[in-house]
Amino acid sequence: MTDDHDIIIGIDLGTTNSLVAFGDEAGPHLIAGPAGEDDVLLPSVVSFNDAGRVARIGGEARAHAVERPATTVYSIKRLMGKGVRDLTDDLGRLPYLIERRSGEDGRDLATVVIGDQRYTPPEISAMILRELKTRAERHFGRPVTKAVITVPAQFDDAQRQATRDAGLIAGLDVVRIINEPTAAALAYGLDRTEHATIAVYDLGGGTFDISILRLEDGVFEVLATNGDTHLGGDDFDHALIDLFTREIHEQFGVDITTPAIKQQLRTLSENIKILLSDRDSAPVEIDLGTGRVYRRLITRGEFETMIVPLVERTIEACSRAVKTAKLTPQGIQQVVLVGGSTRVPFVRRRVAEVFQRRPYTALNPEQVVALGAGVQASLLAGVKRDVLLLDVTPLSLGIETLGGALGKLIPANTRIPCRASETFTTFQDGQTNVKINVLQGERELVKDCRSLGVFELQGIPPMPAGIPKIDVTFLIDQNGILNVSATERRSGRTASVQIVPSHGLTRDEVHRMQREALEHASEDMAAHHLIDVRTTLEFDLHKAEQMVERFGHLLDVSGRNAMVAEIQGLREFAMQCTDPRRLNERRETFNRMTIPLAELAIKASLGSEEEAAGKETVCHAGRETREGEVGGCVEPTLRSVEN
Amino acid sequence: MAADGQNIPVKCLKCHVALRTPIVCDGCHSLFPPPPEADYFALLGMPRTYAIDEKKLYSSYLAIARGVHPDRFTSASDEDRSLATRLSAALNQAYDVLSDPVRRADYLLEIAGGPSAAEMREVPGDFLADIMTLREEIDQAKTAQDDNALLRHREAVVARRQETRRRIAALAESCADLDNRQRAELRRLLNSMNYYDNLLTELAVDPFAAPAKSTND
Repeated sequence: MTDDHDIIIGIDLGTTNSLVAFGDEAGPHLIAGPAGEDDVLLPSVVSFNDAGRVARIGGEARAHAVERPATTVYSIKRLMGKGVRDLTDDLGRLPYLIERRSGEDGRDLATVVIGDQRYTPPEISAMILRELKTRAERHFGRPVTKAVITVPAQFDDAQRQATRDAGLIAGLDVVRIINEPTAAALAYGLDRTEHATIAVYDLGGGTFDISILRLEDGVFEVLATNGDTHLGGDDFDHALIDLFTREIHEQFGVDITTPAIKQQLRTLSENIKILLSDRDSAPVEIDLGTGRVYRRLITRGEFETMIVPLVERTIEACSRAVKTAKLTPQGIQQVVLVGGSTRVPFVRRRVAEVFQRRPYTALNPEQVVALGAGVQASLLAGVKRDVLLLDVTPLSLGIETLGGALGKLIPANTRIPCRASETFTTFQDGQTNVKINVLQGERELVKDCRSLGVFELQGIPPMPAGIPKIDVTFLIDQNGILNVSATERRSGRTASVQIVPSHGLTRDEVHRMQREALEHASEDMAAHHLIDVRTTLEFDLHKAEQMVERFGHLLDVSGRNAMVAEIQGLREFAMQCTDPRRLNERRETFNRMTIPLAELAIKASLGSEEEAAGKETVCHAGRETREGEVGGCVEPTLRSVEN
Repeated sequence: MAADGQNIPVKCLKCHVALRTPIVCDGCHSLFPPPPEADYFALLGMPRTYAIDEKKLYSSYLAIARGVHPDRFTSASDEDRSLATRLSAALNQAYDVLSDPVRRADYLLEIAGGPSAAEMREVPGDFLADIMTLREEIDQAKTAQDDNALLRHREAVVARRQETRRRIAALAESCADLDNRQRAELRRLLNSMNYYDNLLTELAVDPFAAPAKSTND
């Protein structure tokens, strides 16, 4: 990433884990957290204190989930763009409190209640996004304000809007929303030259997508997509939880109701699921107190029997996608597995069976989507590559017609951007507005589809009934988000379109939340941020100490003493300093100071290992990406020397 | 509208490079709002004919899509970004219609003056009676779970659909010169295609269940 381009980051905002990446000429790179270069997965978990203020985000929040189930929020992605009525299954399963937001406008918007505070799902997702943004800013050493965020291909308009709102609240301009399987295909196919039709099977924590793509000369063309936004690894866990709950009830007459035990059971089930990917059986032991212990051995076979119906749902979706693409399994040259749940051997076996080929697993299924987002971010930032992404809309778009039927305007799997027009008129003399209920879904009746909102056309010139002709254009943009515009044909006037989203936030609300988040960010997050900066600083200092030890002899005495003194002084300063920004500035100055030594160290190590060509490439790439950004230069250089 | 369908500006107004399509310049990458008289063929830089070279159509589509896709305009002005989105939507719509032989014929009939499906809902003479008989036979085969019979019916429908398509093609190729009677005949044939498509959806086999077999015509 060079200076003349805006920095755009790519974010995989996952149900279970989130990641951030960027791309340059060399390809996509993940940005690590404070714990070191392997710290790339940020658990999508936020924990709050009893007053309802953010306490921890990520791994630390997840570690506290068992102790503080009611104030630890996970799987928030399942709530994005949803109403309480959509969430009947989740309400009983999630240990935190979810309520319908009170309001007069008839919106059904799920909110999470923590103490006295209420948070909408975009606000909680924004906390995760802000953490990723901070990681990126620390990496680049300057502010980052633009992002590509991935969503499941099956996300509807409300879910996509909610994701974009989350970005805005976090202070990120979401320049593009990209479908997860499409991102995975980008990461997979960017450097391939052969023409191929591939299937991307993406089973994550909470969602399932199958996309079929044609790859040809830098063109990534989605032929069909299908899936289920409420099917994922979480459901595998729930199958185990349900089994244990039932057996505990049968053996001990105990019902598991307390959030703490529920949470414990969830963690245990998740671990067992992971164990059973490598082993044939796993022991289960749950201490129910007062000497009662539930014990059993669970075999992989038992687990597989339980998840058969779930996996078959994914296979049916695959069948529909292959049919839509007018293909047979023989016409598909590669099946790419994406998402942590594709580590389950039974999933791999079934996919291999139906597609009649061994799936491609060389890419890390948890990282590939973020890497693809990084690729797309670099493309949008202007890093030259002749790539064209042609995606489709996953769901049919329609409007409510007389009698509660769905009048289809844009069928599912239409290439986007796409548009459709429809002419409306008035039913009463002098009527100046018309309401249109816009829906998404594959069913014939309005009640079985999801309403995106009621669009109200206003400012129609008063005329006798049936005379005004209002041309309404429905345009689905490249992000899969709907835009509606309207013109009255006779007057040529643009009618204004007022939207009441069924499950979303209004623009004013997003702006208010953005302000609030910023205010709270400075209050709540300063402490958190300080810890992060201290951790990173300690990491840098430690590396510098090691470098002085190994290569200090290359400096003159005064230079070496100055280094040692600076390390000592900075450590003391870190203990007293409470302003993360000031501390970070000192850290950056320090890193700049270590550059001459780092360069000497590189030369020394290269001199001693001429043949280590691989290493040279690593160092080189490290330096090239950071050109013009002296402050951030040292870290990767040091790493490559040490490896 | 010009009879040859090439009713587009010849050169870019800004850099004077020859234009492939009226909406974007390959030379200076400028975007232009589509002229109201430009039809789908013009948008895609293709001659207005039924017997279109589908490979050429696809490569032309990709070349133009590269130029107008909003991903190219991330850091451009709001105006250009929104124009790119609208042009891409128009281009996609044009390609969706022209790349499908039946929709392409329908579109040529529309250009020639119709009738449209809304104006004339008729199908050819004995067609409905035939379809009803066929439907009954399919239902019987389904009830009896007679997979062989279903496969036979499927092949029969595919064959009849192809025959209809052949007749559509013959008329559509000279669409601009057809008289009223011939245009009505084309309309009836086009209307009947929906019935075949619905039957084929009903008879579609699970791509994972069946042994390798071509799914469509």
